[in-house]
Amino acid sequence: MFLEKVFSRGKKEKEVIGDITKQIKLLCTACGFFKTALETDNLSLMRQVMDIERAGDSIRRDIISRIYEGAFLPYLRPDLCKFVEIVDNIFDLLEDTGYRYLDLKLPEQLRGECIQVAFLNRRICEMLLITFESMLKGEDLREKILAIRIYEKKIDDIKLDLIRDARKIEITNFWEGEILSQFLSCLTSISDVIEDASDHLQVIHVSMK
Amino acid sequence: MWKVISGIFLGWSLGANDSANIFGTGITTGIVKYQTAILLTAIFVLIGSIIEGSKCMRIVSDLSRLVSIEAFLCALAAAITMTILTYFAIPASTSQAIIGAVIGAGILSGSADFSKLIKIVACWILTPIGGMIFGYLLYHGLKFIFDKTIPSLTYRNTIYSVGIIVAGCYGAYSLGANNVANVTGIYVGSGLLSCQMAAFIGGLSIASGTLTYGKKVIITVGKGIVPLDPFTALVTVLAEALTLHLFTQIGVPVSSSQAVVGAVVGVGIVGGLRTVNPKMLVKIAVGWLMTPFAAGLMTIVFIYFTS
Repeated sequence: MFLEKVFSRGKKEKEVIGDITKQIKLLCTACGFFKTALETDNLSLMRQVMDIERAGDSIRRDIISRIYEGAFLPYLRPDLCKFVEIVDNIFDLLEDTGYRYLDLKLPEQLRGECIQVAFLNRRICEMLLITFESMLKGEDLREKILAIRIYEKKIDDIKLDLIRDARKIEITNFWEGEILSQFLSCLTSISDVIEDASDHLQVIHVSMK
Repeated sequence: MWKVISGIFLGWSLGANDSANIFGTGITTGIVKYQTAILLTAIFVLIGSIIEGSKCMRIVSDLSRLVSIEAFLCALAAAITMTILTYFAIPASTSQAIIGAVIGAGILSGSADFSKLIKIVACWILTPIGGMIFGYLLYHGLKFIFDKTIPSLTYRNTIYSVGIIVAGCYGAYSLGANNVANVTGIYVGSGLLSCQMAAFIGGLSIASGTLTYGKKVIITVGKGIVPLDPFTALVTVLAEALTLHLFTQIGVPVSSSQAVVGAVVGVGIVGGLRTVNPKMLVKIAVGWLMTPFAAGLMTIVFIYFTS
């Protein structure tokens, strides 16, 4: 085991890192698809978000099994797995949001603000990828995490406006209102989970220092 | 030759108890498996005993002029003292037990050399302090070097994994080099064994203790150790190994347990003095005082009754 560790030069670890990078990049792609689907009201593109979620799920399983096959110190494994699970939760939330969208007719007066949130979600995902890559290089993460928090705050501000505007819409059917409410709630929660993921990166970063 | 048996028993108990100091932190952090740890400890203890074990033999044999039966009784008294104190969970040191026993025998025969004892006691006091200083300096020094040269998470992960194993092997080597004199050093003074033979037999007995009973002790001790982060575990083992090796060069056998406690305190000081448990330090001090006195008294009783 000892000699294997010396001579492999962290091969297993590099594979895990490669897979986590792939998972975050896939998340960026899913967020990009979601935003475009929302802009163009393209339902087939929205369905692709669900396909991407399934691909993300498969990567998550690979990463976790690789970690428990011996990649990284046992001390670090739970934190890495937790990070991967948080990223997977973002996929799940994006998928839920997509399903809600397929079920409803989004009122046009809300579409602009929803696109803005989707745009910022994509930006935060890109920032998460940058933060992850910086963590691998051992760089300081404070500024990147601060940027994620600023994006998150912007989404929180838009959420207030969204709720205010949503109240003005006349609801004639309970389920229409319920699904719209769930859609808005899911859409504006994605950034919270991304923020949790970035906080967890900081935990991993500090624990290896 | 049968008189060496008590020394072998002492070596066996030392190997069983002190192997936990070497790879205990590595095991609790999950870096090393029990089997690997025990095997590496046994191998490197033997190598250390053979290569540098004779350096500390002289001081033990010069402490009192013992005949072979007295050497047998000293080792027996030290072994029994260690067993009793370990049973009551009082941290005990084999070095202090054997030196206490030799001095006890020397007092009875009038041959005790107290000038050498002063040097030994000074080294006992300096052992945890040395561990503390090494722990503190290594923590800051290695942290600075690693931050500057190994920022990558993947490489740092490899360095910690390999580092703890290498430091553990060095720790086992230092343990063998320093502590073998506790086990068979008295037989050199009494003319029963040559320095090389004493180092070899002592090393084998310590290694046998590690191999046969070390796992059980490591599991028990390992459960009681607060899981350290990999870097702290690396620093602790390295500081302990350096402390033991330094005292080997001075030629005085010291306690590996006290060296590792000192190293943990040294690392704890980095996080502020509040992280150091005063109750634990009092318990260690009680063991520190009780061990040589108890072993010395028991040796006097044994020699008195056998003569």
